[in-house]
Amino acid sequence: MSDADPSGSGADPDAGRGVEPTDPGADEGFEPVDVFPDSDDFDLRPGSDSCYKCSTCDTNCPVAEVDDDFPGPKFQGPEQWRLKQNEDDYGIDESVMDCSNCMRCDNACPAGVPLSQMHNTARGQYVSDEMSRFSRKYLRNRVLANYRLFARLGSKVPRLSNALLNNRAVQWLNERLLGITGEREFPSFAAETFREWWTARGGAAASREHAATARERRGEPRDADKRVAYFHGCYANYNTPEVARATVRVFEWFGYEVAVPEQGCSGTPMFANGMLGDARRHAETNVASLSALAERGYDAVASCTSCSMALRQEYPELFDIDGIEAAAAHTFEAVEYLRIHEDLRDAVADAEVDDDSAAEFVYHAPCHARNQGLARQSLELFRELDGVDIEDAGDSCSGISGTYGWKADKYETSMAIGEEMFDHMEAAAGETGMTECPTCAMQMEHGTGYEIRHPLELLEAALVDDG
Amino acid sequence: MGSSPHIVVVGGGSTGTGITRDLAMRGFDVTLVEQGNLTHGTTGRMHGLLHSGGRYAVSDRASARECIAENRVLREIAAHCVEMTGGLFVKRPEDGEAYFEGKLDGCRACDIPASVISGEEARAMEPHLARDVEKAITVPDGAVDPFRLVVANAADARDRGARIETHSTVTDLLVEAGEVVGVEVEHEAGPGERVHGVEGGREEIRADHVVNATGAWAGRIGAMAGVDIEVRPSKGVMTVMNVRQVDTVLNRCRPKGDADVIVPHETTVILGTTDEEVDDPEDYPEEQWEVDAVIDTLASLVPMLRDARTIRSFWGVRPLYEPPDVGSDAPTDITRDFFLLDHAERDGLPGLTSIVGGKFTTYRLMAERVADHVCGRFGVDADCRTADVPLPGSEDFSVLRDYMDEFGLRSPVGRRSVERLGSRADDVLDVDGPNPTVCECEAVTRAEIRDAIEGSGSDLNAVRIRTRASMGNCQGGFCCHRMASELHGTYDEPVVREAWDELLAERWKGQRHALWGRQLSQAMLNYALHATTQNRDRDPADAGPVDYAAFDDGPTRAGGPAGADVAADGGQNGN
Repeated sequence: MSDADPSGSGADPDAGRGVEPTDPGADEGFEPVDVFPDSDDFDLRPGSDSCYKCSTCDTNCPVAEVDDDFPGPKFQGPEQWRLKQNEDDYGIDESVMDCSNCMRCDNACPAGVPLSQMHNTARGQYVSDEMSRFSRKYLRNRVLANYRLFARLGSKVPRLSNALLNNRAVQWLNERLLGITGEREFPSFAAETFREWWTARGGAAASREHAATARERRGEPRDADKRVAYFHGCYANYNTPEVARATVRVFEWFGYEVAVPEQGCSGTPMFANGMLGDARRHAETNVASLSALAERGYDAVASCTSCSMALRQEYPELFDIDGIEAAAAHTFEAVEYLRIHEDLRDAVADAEVDDDSAAEFVYHAPCHARNQGLARQSLELFRELDGVDIEDAGDSCSGISGTYGWKADKYETSMAIGEEMFDHMEAAAGETGMTECPTCAMQMEHGTGYEIRHPLELLEAALVDDG
Repeated sequence: MGSSPHIVVVGGGSTGTGITRDLAMRGFDVTLVEQGNLTHGTTGRMHGLLHSGGRYAVSDRASARECIAENRVLREIAAHCVEMTGGLFVKRPEDGEAYFEGKLDGCRACDIPASVISGEEARAMEPHLARDVEKAITVPDGAVDPFRLVVANAADARDRGARIETHSTVTDLLVEAGEVVGVEVEHEAGPGERVHGVEGGREEIRADHVVNATGAWAGRIGAMAGVDIEVRPSKGVMTVMNVRQVDTVLNRCRPKGDADVIVPHETTVILGTTDEEVDDPEDYPEEQWEVDAVIDTLASLVPMLRDARTIRSFWGVRPLYEPPDVGSDAPTDITRDFFLLDHAERDGLPGLTSIVGGKFTTYRLMAERVADHVCGRFGVDADCRTADVPLPGSEDFSVLRDYMDEFGLRSPVGRRSVERLGSRADDVLDVDGPNPTVCECEAVTRAEIRDAIEGSGSDLNAVRIRTRASMGNCQGGFCCHRMASELHGTYDEPVVREAWDELLAERWKGQRHALWGRQLSQAMLNYALHATTQNRDRDPADAGPVDYAAFDDGPTRAGGPAGADVAADGGQNGN
């Protein structure tokens, strides 16, 4: 078996390491000054050369908008790095933990200051040097950042886990003991994970067949060089396998042979909690898989916009791993990939959806989709689809920002940020939400009670006959 | 103390304020006069290097020994002004081995702790150091803030009864019966703290003795009493980078030359310097090629400097002096030693002593020698204590505080503030009510600005040198108006306006030499911001009082009182 086995039965980065993420010593391998061990750029002070202090980042920061005590991205990034000396006792201010890592500041900056890189590095340094391994917050953040590990265990007994997690007593305990808000309903684990489905369906061999059939239908050569590696991420595997299945079917419909490589967490929740040691461990697995596949002609596609964001931008900014640049350069958001390589627009314009899927949607573009320039793609695509109406819920942040809105002390901030989006959703005609991001979807549902769909599910309904 | 001799010290740089403090500590009645702000001359225009003496260890061992001794003293008495960064003399492949060995021997001979490290070890300390640096000698160089040090000396002298007069230019030395008996000064804005708009005037200050501590200007003062003082002012350029590319002082290990030192200074590094004799300490060309040459040469030590952001450049003049019979050709050959000129003995003119030459690191020693000399003159038997008594702010203090709990400040802001204020931190920062950051680049809060204003009147440049506000990468673009508004309440609008103008003009002065790349973008943004939000490009108030009556006060509705319904947004409807 190769080290990047497209059949998808590879090892798990959480498994076999003999380390539990909640073990207080588990993250200690991380040395903040060695974020770039082989590079000249480990010291981010020169990055503040580009900052003109214009404060555009601060005016685009959703946290600063609702929390007057938050000093904003300019302070967290270029100012803090410039003021900091390369001295051990020059600490990082704890307010970096109030940043939700939405990364809007990156896009807002007219001068190209690497803000989120500075924030991620500062947060990693703060957690590593200044946060007690035995504090409740550390434990809570470690648990939230390593959601994947718990999802893996929980989805082995999905019905029991679902019942337990949303038991009032358990929610109360979570809030009291861990500081995880009891206001939210935990997402349910699927009875069958995506990877279980994939293996049962016949893995890569089956996909090859499906793709070949589709190519024939499309008048393309049976052996056309169309291959993608699917980075499904954790959530689509354990919680919304329908999204992952839709992705596979849509790509196969366009004649792509899909591989589902060995993969860990993209690292998004780990960056946001300063757990760079955990993130690096998962990144090593992902980079090994994706860069090896890239060499064999596979581009990677992700259905979660935060996963694609992490692989494309945060990986090369934070880690120096062999093959990381190649993995980043070959990663795309799934719909974006089809827009580049296929005539997706015409395919959608020619299609229609039947009564079951027909709906009026209200769409929210996740911040991380915005950063990849994808804020408008679902709107522009689906407004041409017969039987569907789609409206934009505006350009505000949903406020949940992954694990952020799950923290008891951040819940209020999260909901205050989300208020604008909730209002827009209520005002829109549609009563079904749509977004690419799993946690934005949680927030949209939490704030409005709407059912939330993923664009790939709608694409599947529109294009694939025997979904 | 009515019977204490009255000494006038001319020159508010490190030497002058050092002498004033020393004399005040020994019981003299002292008046300091300075034509500009404190540090206005050479002291405010140096690279902030606290010499270990290593620089002089080959060519001038007497100076080297003085440096290392004073280096040790200043670490104790001026702890809040000094950052012991350590220093390196680095050898590039083209630098001579013999000189390297000579440097090492010289350091050891002068009691300067020195050891040799490999290029790899040097790069482990300073990762941006050039790959081809072969080896280095470590020495205890440091960084010192000349502004803070001089202000602390002056503040301490004032607390001990001295009178400090800034913006007071000496226009003449009073000579009676062949003896100097005082000075005539022109106050720009009346005696005491400077307040813009206060009418100035002449004052005769009579003294039992006058000390000329004006450095490069010493010849000018001497000429007022007809004595020749052969200072040979030599200019050097220093370029300020936006961030600290290095945290250690880097010296090039080769015979003294241009562009051979990089000094980490607060949030920046300062590149220096050049050495070229000038005729007039106030009027000499500041040329772009000098800046380019310094950056270009030092990039061979730290390659990233080539593309890094430069925020300003400034020139200073060394107060070099050599006895007339030496006659060195090049300024680099002139000794860095200092000379006390007893004009009674030298020129038959009692009542006047000059101190010339020397360097910042040995300012305290120079002051001690002058004070000893003055004591001898008046038969005062008092020991010098300036090597033992800490300056205000440098009494026992720790920078490791809980900034949020104690002062409500974010940690880098609190840390920077406490580093600047030293033992005065509690007095200054522990305030009731909000304490917002006024200067974000340098992390200066309102409390620190207000403290500085208390000590310096309406002079915002004096506030600047006390706090570093407006000295960061935006060069005051975002804080000059905030600093000016802190004057409001104490001073009237025209005073605030004048102080603000003066600060902006001073900030612009150094930025002119950094207008390319990122700092050019910064200057354009500052300009746009100041023009569009503060009317700085065409302010009607600059031409005199504004005729507010000339403005339309809005439509008046029939029946209603005039002006009551004027829309604040300029719209048609008042409600």
